[in-house]
Amino acid sequence: MVVFSFFIFDRHTECIYSRSWLPPSVMEGPTPSAAVLTPTPSSAITAIPDLEREHERNNQGGRPRDRRSKAAKAGDDAKLIFGTVFSLRNMVRKLGGDDDAFITYRTGQYKLHYYETVSNLRFVMLTDTAAPSMRNVLHQVYINLWVEYVVKNPLSPVEHKGGDGVKNELFELGLDQFIRGLM
Amino acid sequence: MAASKASRLGEEIWKTRIDKVNSELVVLTYGTIVAQLVKDFDSDYVEVNKQLDKMGYNIGLRLIEDYLAKSNTMRRCSNFRETAEMIAKVGFKIFLNITPTITNWTSDSKQFSLVFDENPLADFVELPDDGRAQDELWYSNILCGVLRGALEMVQMQVEAHFISDMLRGNDTTEMRISLLRYIDDELPPEDD
Repeated sequence: MVVFSFFIFDRHTECIYSRSWLPPSVMEGPTPSAAVLTPTPSSAITAIPDLEREHERNNQGGRPRDRRSKAAKAGDDAKLIFGTVFSLRNMVRKLGGDDDAFITYRTGQYKLHYYETVSNLRFVMLTDTAAPSMRNVLHQVYINLWVEYVVKNPLSPVEHKGGDGVKNELFELGLDQFIRGLM
Repeated sequence: MAASKASRLGEEIWKTRIDKVNSELVVLTYGTIVAQLVKDFDSDYVEVNKQLDKMGYNIGLRLIEDYLAKSNTMRRCSNFRETAEMIAKVGFKIFLNITPTITNWTSDSKQFSLVFDENPLADFVELPDDGRAQDELWYSNILCGVLRGALEMVQMQVEAHFISDMLRGNDTTEMRISLLRYIDDELPPEDD
């Protein structure tokens, strides 16, 4: 199983954390420095078989794009993903009742997993299409990593505007280990 | 039905998933905080109540996440009565090991009271004998803030305040909680 990327959105609909794990094919690409074990959220976003594949293809040719456009693209991706899961969640509730939950969707290239807490924190993960349900995994991330390392950190703010307080070492390391353990 | 399920859930979490601390440590720490506030605000008890509520609110904003994680809550309460059950039998149980009694519902099911038969925060406490504390200070006011903050994070705006306290010589310790409104989901900003 391969995990491509992971996002957290807060109740204000802002993306407060994103992270991607490179599949091996990209690690041999023209920018090996992007393939370090703990990629920053802004780097390596090209690894996702993402929503803008077409756009991506036009840019291929071994020329690494500059950081700013990558970061901007990562932000756009996050917004697109949020818009998508938010609409799907609302539609699911409309059809299936308020207790129904949107869990996953699958395309030819990837599978998107979704978990929303009662406090309106949204966890999204993109994996390969063969992956089993990751709902439980996302729930574990919430219980064992988010609550333990972000919420219970007395110095972390309550609101994570711009990702404040989420990017702490314990959380990032724990997440990385947990996800790599699955692959 | 919901009532007994909630008590069983609270009991089970308390037994299996909660790290316990010495209760006297909590009591004395809380007492120190209140005493310090009274000193800082020159025995302006109205202000002390306000500060305690504010501190509680900030605790509640975080505590709810721990509550949701420990109780494995996956869905919202279907109505405010169920919310009250979960607060009393799961929330108070797992964090303070008490289960206040839910009573005095209004007919529209939007207001209820929690009656505290025991209040661990108030152990060993005697209010100052200055003739005002007995009428003005709500010693355990932090709890009101905790509820307000925690419920706000799960999209309920509530108002909570004490209406009687055994420390003041009342027969019971009673907190009144009113549901003001359910908060709507926030929508993503419109794209141009």
